[in-house]
Amino acid sequence: MLTRLFKPLFDLKAPFRSGVLWLIWGWLILLVLLPNLLVIGVSFLERDPQDFIRFSVTLDNYRRLFDPLYLGVFLRSLHMAVLATVLCLLIGYPFAWGVSRVTPRWRPLLMFLLIVPFWTNSLVRTYAIKVLLAGNGLINSFLIDVGLISQPVQLLYTEGAVIIGLIYVLLPFMILPLYSVFEQLREDLLAASADLGASRWRTFRHVVIPMTMPGVIAGCLLVLLPAMGMFYIADVLGGSRVLLVGNVIKSQFLDARDWPFGAAASVLLTVAMALLLLAYWQSVRRVRQQVAL
Amino acid sequence: MIRSAKGLLGALLLGAAVALAGCSKEPEQVLYLYNWSEYMPQEVLDAFREETGIRVAYTTYDSNEAMYARLRLLDDSNAYDLAVPSTYYVNKMRNEGLLQPVDKQKLTRFANLDPQLLDQGFDPQNQYSVPYLWGSTGMAVNGAAVSTDGVTKWADLWDPKYKGRVLLTNDVREVFHIGLRVLGYSGNSTSEEEIAAAYEKLRELMPSVRAFNSDAPRMPYLEGEADIGLIWNGEAVMAQEELPELAYVYPEEGAVIWVDNFVIPKNARNVEAAHKFIDFVLQPEVAAQISEEIGYATPNLPARELLPPEVRENRTSYPTEDDLENAEFQSDVGEALLVYERYWELLKAGH
Repeated sequence: MLTRLFKPLFDLKAPFRSGVLWLIWGWLILLVLLPNLLVIGVSFLERDPQDFIRFSVTLDNYRRLFDPLYLGVFLRSLHMAVLATVLCLLIGYPFAWGVSRVTPRWRPLLMFLLIVPFWTNSLVRTYAIKVLLAGNGLINSFLIDVGLISQPVQLLYTEGAVIIGLIYVLLPFMILPLYSVFEQLREDLLAASADLGASRWRTFRHVVIPMTMPGVIAGCLLVLLPAMGMFYIADVLGGSRVLLVGNVIKSQFLDARDWPFGAAASVLLTVAMALLLLAYWQSVRRVRQQVAL
Repeated sequence: MIRSAKGLLGALLLGAAVALAGCSKEPEQVLYLYNWSEYMPQEVLDAFREETGIRVAYTTYDSNEAMYARLRLLDDSNAYDLAVPSTYYVNKMRNEGLLQPVDKQKLTRFANLDPQLLDQGFDPQNQYSVPYLWGSTGMAVNGAAVSTDGVTKWADLWDPKYKGRVLLTNDVREVFHIGLRVLGYSGNSTSEEEIAAAYEKLRELMPSVRAFNSDAPRMPYLEGEADIGLIWNGEAVMAQEELPELAYVYPEEGAVIWVDNFVIPKNARNVEAAHKFIDFVLQPEVAAQISEEIGYATPNLPARELLPPEVRENRTSYPTEDDLENAEFQSDVGEALLVYERYWELLKAGH
């Protein structure tokens, strides 16, 4: 395994390939592996008010993380992320199916339209949502003008606003993998299911869902993992009222200058993400087996 | 975002300037200035170079914490000659021996400074710091939405009629300052009991709080999301251009005052030029130019006279003595900051 990994690096017959590989390995080691090792290392040290860290090993930082306060913060982040993911799935699934049923000539255009907003920075788009939701923003002004309400409704700085922001920014990550599985969904299997007397609902449950499962899982992970990390959406649209994992890490590093504790919190977040990825890998394997049957 | 982009552009221009300067024959003196982003007009740096021949290498930061960490971690070979920490960071850096004394013999214009802003607890006799710009954190009341009558103190924020309409800054020290002052304690308390009591008091306020904002605290008032709460005076001046009904109140229990000060780091290489630059900025014309362009108040008394009357008589920027009756400068709370941080997290997590 290792020889297969490293041998191309020294392949003199393909200088370009080995050059590129050196670049990639160098990049990953210098900018990913080393910083992460530093963070892990620091998380086991003690805080020092003068020099940030003191070189004496302790598990105290991890013990402190199991405080109900931080557990609550973690669950809250997870809850928001899961809610956003489920809603993305409910919107994205019929959307992707719909696009895959359109004449092939129009599909690239529809997918293109889905991607276009990505050309604008997501933080800028988040501020744009703020303009829509604000007390004297477009939605409230419109509703007041048409006479549906007399007082502005509270839309901004609520949990709902955060969820809307997360869905808006992350929906394409749900649709893209779903679209690719729907495109490969074979019509003849659906026809066969109908011929064998299955109702449309049964066909959906026993044919369509299992066949699109890899797309569902990939989409959910692509939404869930970033949703845990998009703290600026909670700050801008939620008015910083909700404390999320990222806010805790940031304030420990910058304000409290407790680097070891901040490092421990970010290690824990990384581990939680890794467990989710592991779960994904396992479930994909299981789904593949089922489909093969 | 825009700030950092501008900073980048500035750095590029500076790089070009360095390259051009490299062509001249005589080695040029350089002053390394570390300042807040968009906190010094380029014209001032150019004029300084014109007058003294010293080029200013300008680097920026956007929080005291970032500046502090950088100064702590940098070694002598690439140290800065001047930095501009806010009030309690002067205190902290002085206590930790990161600064060297300012030689007032070399500052011919030190007498221009407002005595009210000198000799404060964070740096007695201004041994280590010279005020640059200053401001306050007080209360904003949107007169277009609620009555401003009778709103005079921090405790008014707890009035149930403002439920869901109160804005706080996203700053642990400022928010706890009100909690502590309402209970009659100092906003710089280091007693765990007092901080805990302030936390209990602030918990009662939480249902009223609409949002925390330290990016641009004027925005929630302009968006119609908040009617009353915390604001910085510079932000209030900006907000009043769009929303003239927004009143800036100096609360009876005392506003928070902060001063950004020039300091000379311990390992500065061009101490002479640092003094020259401070003295240059102390000229009334230069100080007035900076204050007009940057928007915050100048501590330079003759400079104030040079400002247009509507600016100099605006109480939001230039409070009267009565306005600052109980006002407090923020000072370093040392390790008690960890206690603040802990209660801040509890407050935010809703415990």
